[in-house]
Amino acid sequence: MNVLYGLLTPDSGEILIDGVPQTFHSPRDALRAKVGMVHQHFMLVPVFTVAENIMLGREKTSGVLLSRAAARAEVRELSERYGLDVDPDAVVEDIPVGVQQRVEIIKALTSDCDLLILDEPTAVLTPAEIDELLDVMRTLRADGKSIVFITHKLKEVKAIADKITVVRRGRIVGTAEPTTGEDELAAMMVGREVSLTVDKTPARPGEPVLEIAGLSVLDERGQRAVDGLDLEVRAGEILGIAGVQGNGQTELAEAIMSLRPVLTGTIMVNKCPATRSKTRQVIDSGVGYVPEDRSADGLVKSFSIAENLVLNQYDKPPYGSGFMINPKMINKVAEERVAEYDVRTPSARTPVGTLSGGNQQKVIVAREMSRKLDLLIAAQPTRGVDVGSIEFIHKRIVAERDTGTGVLLISSELDEVLALSDRVAVMYRGRILDIVSPDTPREKIGRLMAGLTDDQAASKEPGA
Amino acid sequence: MTNPPAKGDGVPAEEPAPTAGGDNGLTVPPAEQFEAAMEDEAAEQAVAVEETAAVTRRKPWILRAAIYLTTANQVMVTVYSLILAAVVGAILIIVSDPYVRSTWGYFFSQPGDALSASWDAVATAYGALFRGAVVDPDKLNRWFYGMADLDAVLRPIATTFNYSAPLIFTGMAVALAFRSGLFNIGAQGQAVVGAIGAAIVGFSFTGLPTIVHLPLTLLGGLVGGAIWGAIPGVLKALTGAHEVIISIMLNYIGGYLLLWVISTKFVHSPDRTDAISKPASESALFPSLFGAGLPANWGIVLAVVVAAGMSWFLARSSLGFRFRTVGANPAAAKTAGMGVAGTYATAMAFGGGLAGLGGATILLGSTSHALTPSVAGTIGFDGITVALLGRAKPLGVVFSALLFGAMQAGASTMQTVAQIPVDMVTVLQAVIVIFIAAPALVKGIFHLREAKVSGQELSMAKGW
Amino acid sequence: MRPAMKFTAAALAGGLVLGLSACGKPPADDKAGDSGAKFNACMVTDLGGVDDKSFNTSAWKGMQEAAKKDTGINATYAQSNTEADYEPNLQNAVDNNCSLIVAVGGLMADATKKLATAHPDKQFAIVDAKIDLPNVRSMEFNTAQNSFMAGYLAAATSKTGKVATYGGLKIPPVTIFMDGFAEGVKYFNEKKGKKVELLGWDEAKQEGTFAESFIDQQKGKALTETFVSQGADVVFPVAGGTGVGSTTVAKEKPEVSVVWVDVDGCQSLATACDTFLSTAEKNIPAAVTDAVIAAKGGAKGGATVGTLENKGVSLAPFQKKDALVTAETKAELEQIKTDIIAGTIKIQSPSQPKVS
Repeated sequence: MNVLYGLLTPDSGEILIDGVPQTFHSPRDALRAKVGMVHQHFMLVPVFTVAENIMLGREKTSGVLLSRAAARAEVRELSERYGLDVDPDAVVEDIPVGVQQRVEIIKALTSDCDLLILDEPTAVLTPAEIDELLDVMRTLRADGKSIVFITHKLKEVKAIADKITVVRRGRIVGTAEPTTGEDELAAMMVGREVSLTVDKTPARPGEPVLEIAGLSVLDERGQRAVDGLDLEVRAGEILGIAGVQGNGQTELAEAIMSLRPVLTGTIMVNKCPATRSKTRQVIDSGVGYVPEDRSADGLVKSFSIAENLVLNQYDKPPYGSGFMINPKMINKVAEERVAEYDVRTPSARTPVGTLSGGNQQKVIVAREMSRKLDLLIAAQPTRGVDVGSIEFIHKRIVAERDTGTGVLLISSELDEVLALSDRVAVMYRGRILDIVSPDTPREKIGRLMAGLTDDQAASKEPGA
Repeated sequence: MTNPPAKGDGVPAEEPAPTAGGDNGLTVPPAEQFEAAMEDEAAEQAVAVEETAAVTRRKPWILRAAIYLTTANQVMVTVYSLILAAVVGAILIIVSDPYVRSTWGYFFSQPGDALSASWDAVATAYGALFRGAVVDPDKLNRWFYGMADLDAVLRPIATTFNYSAPLIFTGMAVALAFRSGLFNIGAQGQAVVGAIGAAIVGFSFTGLPTIVHLPLTLLGGLVGGAIWGAIPGVLKALTGAHEVIISIMLNYIGGYLLLWVISTKFVHSPDRTDAISKPASESALFPSLFGAGLPANWGIVLAVVVAAGMSWFLARSSLGFRFRTVGANPAAAKTAGMGVAGTYATAMAFGGGLAGLGGATILLGSTSHALTPSVAGTIGFDGITVALLGRAKPLGVVFSALLFGAMQAGASTMQTVAQIPVDMVTVLQAVIVIFIAAPALVKGIFHLREAKVSGQELSMAKGW
Repeated sequence: MRPAMKFTAAALAGGLVLGLSACGKPPADDKAGDSGAKFNACMVTDLGGVDDKSFNTSAWKGMQEAAKKDTGINATYAQSNTEADYEPNLQNAVDNNCSLIVAVGGLMADATKKLATAHPDKQFAIVDAKIDLPNVRSMEFNTAQNSFMAGYLAAATSKTGKVATYGGLKIPPVTIFMDGFAEGVKYFNEKKGKKVELLGWDEAKQEGTFAESFIDQQKGKALTETFVSQGADVVFPVAGGTGVGSTTVAKEKPEVSVVWVDVDGCQSLATACDTFLSTAEKNIPAAVTDAVIAAKGGAKGGATVGTLENKGVSLAPFQKKDALVTAETKAELEQIKTDIIAGTIKIQSPSQPKVS
């Protein structure tokens, strides 16, 4: 898709737009051919207003002055035509994610594009916002726009698409109709049948390994991302945290790992206070952590797999003692781990950065799970990971639970939380709204994720 | 249980890719671009990598060598940068020589004149550079026939060694900080303070045996530099102050400190009327390497040994592992429980110590072995260039310091023989670094192949 | 790929040429053929090079002057960019058949001494330092003498009764000027029963104001402004380029005069000629010219100290501020000069070169 938008130039082949071959060297070329794109990561300037963001790159000018009024009028016009409901004067950082996404759509529409590419647009949205987005897409379709909708969520594809193309490893593996069954689609994507359920026995919870009381944590902007949260994870159970991304899950995990200072409240690991520990002490007390952003926090991409496997154990026997480390031992153990965790690589000395996302994730999982743990915090353990690896990682998490480790699973994939967890805690705006059984109907959990508890009418909630 | 969503393979797999690739995160390295689930055939790596690998495997060595020579890997980019710099230098030599310039005035009537005059000018200049830096073939020949003494043959290389030894230290001071994710622009100040420390220890004691006094003197340099390096490190660790700004300021302060120290009664040489300190005692000096008549001393040997030590330190010590991890990915280091702030402070102190040794070496290697206002020359700033050219690796630093030392040594001869200003060498060094810092330029000029993707970045221009 | 190959080939070929030239028995002696040729006078500059408008420039001027006077002399120079360059530059001069090697600056003393000892057959000369070797000619300058005159002149022309000085660095080559200046002011007060005050230097304590730089004009300007605000109207900067800041102040305030050092300000800094009362000159060019010509004539070693007597130091003409200096003062200055030469005025400065 980046090729289509001119971000990357193709090595071979050609792109036809309305039957005309095109070469895109930059997004500018793509826009000229009326191709617009909404990126997974919004490309908006947070401190600018919506109208100002729209003006970016294609500044409407009268002489040297930017014409704010024109941009504002254009936003209003498009907003009304497609029912987008965007205020041109709102500052982008103040508006919800769902609205920001609509700003991106407007941005694409202002260049008069006929073809709109939406790259994983639903990843950051609540179920309600997803529905709204799908409505917008229908309006656009009615207006004669073509939309390429990239997603890995089968339900959404089935709900909106007129034609489905399955892409695997840079090749089209097949096309399907919206009526095709989910299992069949999944099979096409993976190339073989995968079990979409996780086999596990009922949990045998033991003593609490993680007790959190009244925890409040600030995020980068100084907002209370975690706000008076209480939680308990017991040995031998998987507690899943369901919630739309950005409701404090990241900060919660980081607070437990002492990566982020605790404002108020207490954290006990194995009945020992860990509120003001050092990250090192938390790790050494038997806590494993699969960070949510593996590139940023989990791995050193220029390091070998072997080195990454000892990132938090490098100075402990048998890998190191005193001032020295033992590369021979590190490499030897790494070879075993690579085999055990099925990391597909030519050698354990290969730089981690050259591996696929799934294999990178397996390296982290191998590192965290191959020592004796009492508590495992797995944040988004399968994000951006291929299906085969997802299955593998899920199995390892369950196996870890079965050895008596308490697992705190944080995932924005509701299906993953439901499939793995023994108990599901729904997190919304820094608090746990409710803890439910994984058998609870999805609709109910979905409502909780949007902040609606049962005793609240939907209308009372002032929007996310 | 519900179905976990399957993930489309061909979609650019990385979900959060804030650190991937360039500054804007738009350029995705090929490995990630094509990466996919590797569930079936492990060998099916990124296509580009695969191709090169295959070619390398099957072709005879001569072709493999040719491929290596024409690939934009680090070594070849460096080699080609040197060649380009030589070409730029040649053009400057031609342009700056009035006689040669005049021959180009009638190029179209007698092209031979212009060409031979240009060739003569360049050959004389570079020939002198070589004779002054490595060996004079004529002297070698005479020595062979017993018509010249060995000193004359060894003098150029000895001069080169004397210039290079301090540069190895300051180069490593910058390189070590680079590897730890810091930009140590303060090597100059650290070298100056190191020189002060070494000088004070050097002249304060008399009558000690060299075996005691020399190490003590070097320790004086090491401690002086380490203190000066630790200041920005500690300030960064405690307050987040940027090490670049602090260390630039400390360069100034170090310079003025030196002026003040020289003017004090305790340090200033009572026998001299100008700004010069008491000379270090004979016992504090490095033994001469090739005999008393030649400038080279054991400082160069020490420098190479310390470089080997640093190589070992980075690869085999736990602290070195920590330095590298923090340097490559501070967020991952923090997540793995490493004290990032403490590591910064330690790395800066280590770097400062190395620069301080550089200051001590240049002091002890100078003719007067005494402090003067510009005793350290510009070795600290040159150290930055040396580290860049040496790709922040100990061996690379040794080679680039030798090259820079050789250029300085040769410049003196080039100036005397060919009347080329010494500043030409400074220009050459700058040009080399420009090409190194812009590998894409070199790649374009020579039409080199894309290097295989590894975790290592080709460009080091990311120190900030 | 192709261009890359070509370059590699060219580089290899270049290496071969260099290598081949080393074969075959060389002619007996390369030095023999040079004996009827020109007398090569080679100068090695201190940091800053021949364009520093200070002692390197002066010395190079002397070299060129010598070459002009005697066409048998060939003058060249090599620049030092760092102190580590001193020795290689001097060594290269030795290796390249220089008949006389002139080192400029006291900091080169150690390197010069070393090479002069190693090559007793070569002639050396050094500016601003004293080396006791038979083959080194030392050139020093007793600038306390002309600074004494400058101090008297300043005190005599001051309307406010306050004069000031500052240095670049607190080192003897600088403080010698300040000492002489201070003594001149003192002498004026004794003679005339006045109380002209000197700011910026206390000779007895050897303490005063320093810019800690020879290039920082802003610093010079700030220091001068401070002095002027305290009432000083004659300023004597002994700080190289830093002193340019003083002329900036003097341009804004015509009542302020500057006394320059080393080279007549109206020549070295012609744009500021209006501001100069005079200059405590150090006649390096003449000394260097003499040294070169003497060496060609076969003279070896020796030491000279530039004094008022031998015109090695002097007080420059008053140029555009001539009107400020009364005829009486001019006569008194002449008398002082005579007295210093005769030794009836004794200058105390501890930084004066010892006359051997």
